[in-house]
Amino acid sequence: MKKISAALFAIWVLAFACREKYVPTLNEPTTGYLVVEGFINSGSGPTVINLTRSTKISGAASIVKETKALVRVENKANTTSFPLTETSSGIYTNPQLSLNSSDQYRIYIKTTDGKEYVSDYSAVRRTPDIDSLSWRMENGGIQTYANTHDNQNKTKYYLFKYEETWEFTSRYPTQLKIYNDRQGVPNHVGYRDSSNPIYDPKLFRCWKTNIPTTIMTYTTEKLSQDAVSLYPLAYIEPASWKLGILYSIILKQYALSQEYFRFLDQMRKNTEQLGSIFDAQPSENIGNLRCLSNANERVIGFVEVSEEKQQRIFISNAQVPGWGYNNQCEDQVAIPNQPDSIKIANGLPTTVAFGGRSGLDVVYFAPALCVDCTLRGVNTKPSFWP
Amino acid sequence: MFSFNAVAQTDTLGPPVSGEYRNITAEQFLLSIEKTTGYRIYFNKPDIDSIHIDLQANNEPLLKLLGRAFAGTGMRFAAGTNREVFLTKGSAINTTLADELFDDLFSKSKKPITASTVNNADSITEENKIAKASLENKLYEIGLRNKGPLTGKATIAGYLHDAKTGEPVIGASVMIEGSRTGVVSDQYGFYSITVPKGRNIINIQSMGIRDTRRQLMVYNDGRMNIDLQPQVISLKNVTVSSERTGLIRGMQMGVQKIDIKSIKQVPVAFGEADVLRVVMTMPGVKTVGEASTGLNVRGGSADQNLILFNDATIFNPSHFFGLFSAFNPEVVKDIQLYKSGIPAKYGGRLSSVLEVNSREGNKKNITGSAGIGLLTSRINIEGPLAKEKTSFIFGARTTYANWLLNLLPNEYKNSRAAFYDMNFNIAHQMGKKDNLYFTAYLSSDRFNLNNDTSYHYGNHNLSVKWKHEFNNKWYTVLSGGYDAYNYDISSERNPSNAYQLAFDINQYYLKLHVNYFASSKHMFEFGLNNQLYKLHPGDYTPLGNKSLIKPDRIPAEQALESALYFGDKFTVTPDFSIEGAIRYAAFNYLGPATVNLYQPGIPKTENNITGTANYNSGSFVKTYHGPEIRATARYVINQNLSLKAGFNTQRQFIHMLSNTAAIAPTDIWKLSDPNIKPQYGTQASFGIYRNFKSNTIETSVEFYYKSMSDYLDYKSGAVLVLNHHIETDVLSTKGKAYGVELLIRKTTGKLNGWFSYTFSRVLLQMNDSTQGVPVNKGNWYPANYDKPHDFTLVGNLRISHRFSISMNTTYSTGRPITLPIGRYFYAGAERTLYSDRNQYRIPDYFRTDFSMNIEGNHKVHQLLHNSFTIGVYNLTATKNPYSVYYTTENGVINGYKLSIFGSIIPYINYNVRF
Repeated sequence: MKKISAALFAIWVLAFACREKYVPTLNEPTTGYLVVEGFINSGSGPTVINLTRSTKISGAASIVKETKALVRVENKANTTSFPLTETSSGIYTNPQLSLNSSDQYRIYIKTTDGKEYVSDYSAVRRTPDIDSLSWRMENGGIQTYANTHDNQNKTKYYLFKYEETWEFTSRYPTQLKIYNDRQGVPNHVGYRDSSNPIYDPKLFRCWKTNIPTTIMTYTTEKLSQDAVSLYPLAYIEPASWKLGILYSIILKQYALSQEYFRFLDQMRKNTEQLGSIFDAQPSENIGNLRCLSNANERVIGFVEVSEEKQQRIFISNAQVPGWGYNNQCEDQVAIPNQPDSIKIANGLPTTVAFGGRSGLDVVYFAPALCVDCTLRGVNTKPSFWP
Repeated sequence: MFSFNAVAQTDTLGPPVSGEYRNITAEQFLLSIEKTTGYRIYFNKPDIDSIHIDLQANNEPLLKLLGRAFAGTGMRFAAGTNREVFLTKGSAINTTLADELFDDLFSKSKKPITASTVNNADSITEENKIAKASLENKLYEIGLRNKGPLTGKATIAGYLHDAKTGEPVIGASVMIEGSRTGVVSDQYGFYSITVPKGRNIINIQSMGIRDTRRQLMVYNDGRMNIDLQPQVISLKNVTVSSERTGLIRGMQMGVQKIDIKSIKQVPVAFGEADVLRVVMTMPGVKTVGEASTGLNVRGGSADQNLILFNDATIFNPSHFFGLFSAFNPEVVKDIQLYKSGIPAKYGGRLSSVLEVNSREGNKKNITGSAGIGLLTSRINIEGPLAKEKTSFIFGARTTYANWLLNLLPNEYKNSRAAFYDMNFNIAHQMGKKDNLYFTAYLSSDRFNLNNDTSYHYGNHNLSVKWKHEFNNKWYTVLSGGYDAYNYDISSERNPSNAYQLAFDINQYYLKLHVNYFASSKHMFEFGLNNQLYKLHPGDYTPLGNKSLIKPDRIPAEQALESALYFGDKFTVTPDFSIEGAIRYAAFNYLGPATVNLYQPGIPKTENNITGTANYNSGSFVKTYHGPEIRATARYVINQNLSLKAGFNTQRQFIHMLSNTAAIAPTDIWKLSDPNIKPQYGTQASFGIYRNFKSNTIETSVEFYYKSMSDYLDYKSGAVLVLNHHIETDVLSTKGKAYGVELLIRKTTGKLNGWFSYTFSRVLLQMNDSTQGVPVNKGNWYPANYDKPHDFTLVGNLRISHRFSISMNTTYSTGRPITLPIGRYFYAGAERTLYSDRNQYRIPDYFRTDFSMNIEGNHKVHQLLHNSFTIGVYNLTATKNPYSVYYTTENGVINGYKLSIFGSIIPYINYNVRF
């Protein structure tokens, strides 16, 4: 149904309709409701709860962290509790909980203004293992898929998250850099390291990570088996730089309750899926948290006990023959190594074009993005990288 | 029969008269002669007011004497065989034909001697036929002549037909000249009027025919069919002339009637004459936007309209996802929308009844028409199957919108869309008192998305109607039929979840309606309706053997809806009349069914299901019943001014489930059941009607107040498709709607059209915490289609007989929407926070359309009649927002407004009649 309305939308929009940015005048209340995101981890690994505040819709985007709150996980009989400590601003962590799988747990929060918030109690839920994280060529690109199942037919509601990381290199390695005069104006080009004129690996090899912002939930409620087959994750466009060298994707999978599934689904409908002609209208979305101090105060979020399962795969350029990645960098330009020329040169110097008397009489310049990989990624190798 | 001008044929000039008549009025003179001769003399008093008589008679034959007495006054007279004389001014009466006018029941009299008089024309002399009165200047005799004085009243009944095509003329007003008595011909062209015995003149007016009159001599009850001359297209003005006085004198209020000619003049997107779009220009009718053919009548939702195509219920009246309405304009004759004062024979919907009437088919010749537009082509053929007795009409329409889809980017290039609809009607006359009507309708829409998801929906309707007249006062209509709507969606892209989802609703009905024209004061009608519903609310099945889809079927639902009604049109005085009816409606939800039981007093949620109850096939699971009242009163203050008031109550047992603003193709219908109550509505209305400039300008102001209960709204995040416990996702709300509707309509002249303004509100409330969290804290909130101000101007200017232009301008307040009140960061992105429903509005709507109609030449006898329509939709290229929404893209919130037609849409249409 989703797909149909998306398609109808596309057809309308493309055929006759028109869509424009629009900013209505809103009479916005200063909301500042507490937003709670995270889950109580029943498996191995930390429990992380993120506390923020909602903000006005107009004005610049900013994330307002809720700091110095008291956060703990409580069991139903309130006999045990696990404190979470603020490891960075607004992020509260407990490295490892030990939960009793027959008990029920909730989150308890007390903010600095003295207000208390709790979630509903949640049973301890386990997440089935990921069967595979598969991929195949589709329309010249690569489509990745999640596959999983639950033999006991108990899970039914799934949340998927993924992160992509890929390695890339600069088109032109560099051994040179621009030196400024005393006034800070580019003056001449010299070796990066005059004692050792090698190409600088720090600007050459980098990694880029992408975390999608869409909510990916799936239910097997309508299937005869509790099995997820070929749930589409990332799609790598044909000839994308992501697969220029080596690409990696990690899948994180969570089992959800039906209520949490509906909450996320509604959030997605409210925020990602609007704008077609036959869309459901947005509506209030109520999670499982409430304010004990003021019953009328809204709290946004849904916290329950779950477990995270992960799987990571790598795809190398060699596995996709004829990938055809092209960095689209222009040819280098030779520029005399004189202050007047250097001052107006575009991009960054790479290597010597003509040594001449100084050994650096004429140098090559190339666009910055083709030289310095840190402009697009980070040059520290991720811990999981081979 | 005698005529003074045709003395040659007379063998007597009447009895001899003797006497002295000195300086007396003509009236006194005539009365005195009546006494002495025993003859009856008919005259029109004003005609002879100024004539004085001063003469003496001595055994002078009556007619000779009269000739002498009125010499030089311009008075003429004619004598009948039955001791009677008709005195008229100007030309003498043609007294031929009287014999033919008798209904065979009454007629035993001998064939009259024909007399040639001024204006005498061909007469209908074929034996054994109900006569057709087609001449204005003839005197038609009705009923068996009797000797006694003509006192008391008689009833005349018969059919009005179009002289050219033989089709019935519906909604024509039949009025007695000089009195305020009048009736309107019904959907069969049948009329029945009670008149004082003696001389009468009746005036007949209707849309599309020439105003005309018939002269009658009424002795007793009798039959008279009247053939009416159509107005030649485009030569004279076309719209409503009949309703001129109708609006003032008619009982109906809150009723709009538009004929196809007017419909075709209104410019629309792609030039496809669209019945429903024109309805939307009438006061009190709104729609959520251009992609929707859903009507919101006086604050009602789209499912509260009963849309009838020749008595068949059309569940989804749109094609191509709301771009076109599902009615072929070549077959439609006219439409009638009841916003209040809904006739007692109709029920089952809260807001309105929209009758779409098709033509009956030409009874005389095979004719047809065809049209070609940018997106659709249409054709219709009609003609007699048996001369004068049986006619058929067939219409079909199809689309070729694929070229439009080919303009889409690659991603959607393989998409395909198609629709068609077909109509087939037969009207058959069995003898003089029985008519049989057959209607079939079929529509189908198909859409395929990139060879992936296919999508189909369609309407199927069949109906048979038998009308029998017992006599002039009684007739009955028995009708039965089958209405169905279904859709299915399927996708085979991913073999492991290839599926098909199907829905259908079926309705079988049997209706009996009886009309009884009791007297000139009372017209009774009563009847019985029965409908059996059978729904398959959702059937989800795997496609292919690799599919893991688990079949899921929501059990079929069935119910019986019955109603018994009785009504009386009571004319208290010619100026004051009341129409009252009571309709008792009952609804039985039938087994087999499994009904979820909930803990009472707390919101219905899945967790509160305490068990289920099973019912066997045919058992009555739940019955809802109650009376409905329909009442209207009219008071005529003078010829140009009247007041009307109405009160009606309605019950609705079937609900459309949709939480989108527009009618979506995936909307499903739901029957009331033990957990979902029927909707109930009450409306009170009041109207003032005033005509100006000899009835060429009609104005009306209507006020209404409506309340609704158990109107369905949805919980946040409601799931409507394949939901086994739909009652957990809906809320029953209260609603109130009120408004004022102003209409100014100029019906004649080179420039005609209408202007309408509506102020209206519709508000809902859900403050019952036993149902769930109150919506908007239990306060009243506007419904999705609450658009307080609405102006429409429709104008047509006839520049020459072959060229006319039309313009249409509309403005309305933007509809309410829910906008976010804040934002927050969640799941890696900024999210919008929604709160109270419908607290904001999209920007106001404004649009102007323009079209030109170019007719070919007007020679009546040519093989083909051509016409072109060239037009522009949205002349000002206004980007009218259909919706405003916020969406999270790449982690950032953006606000957008979406316009359905953001630019000028030109179109051209070619039509040909043959």
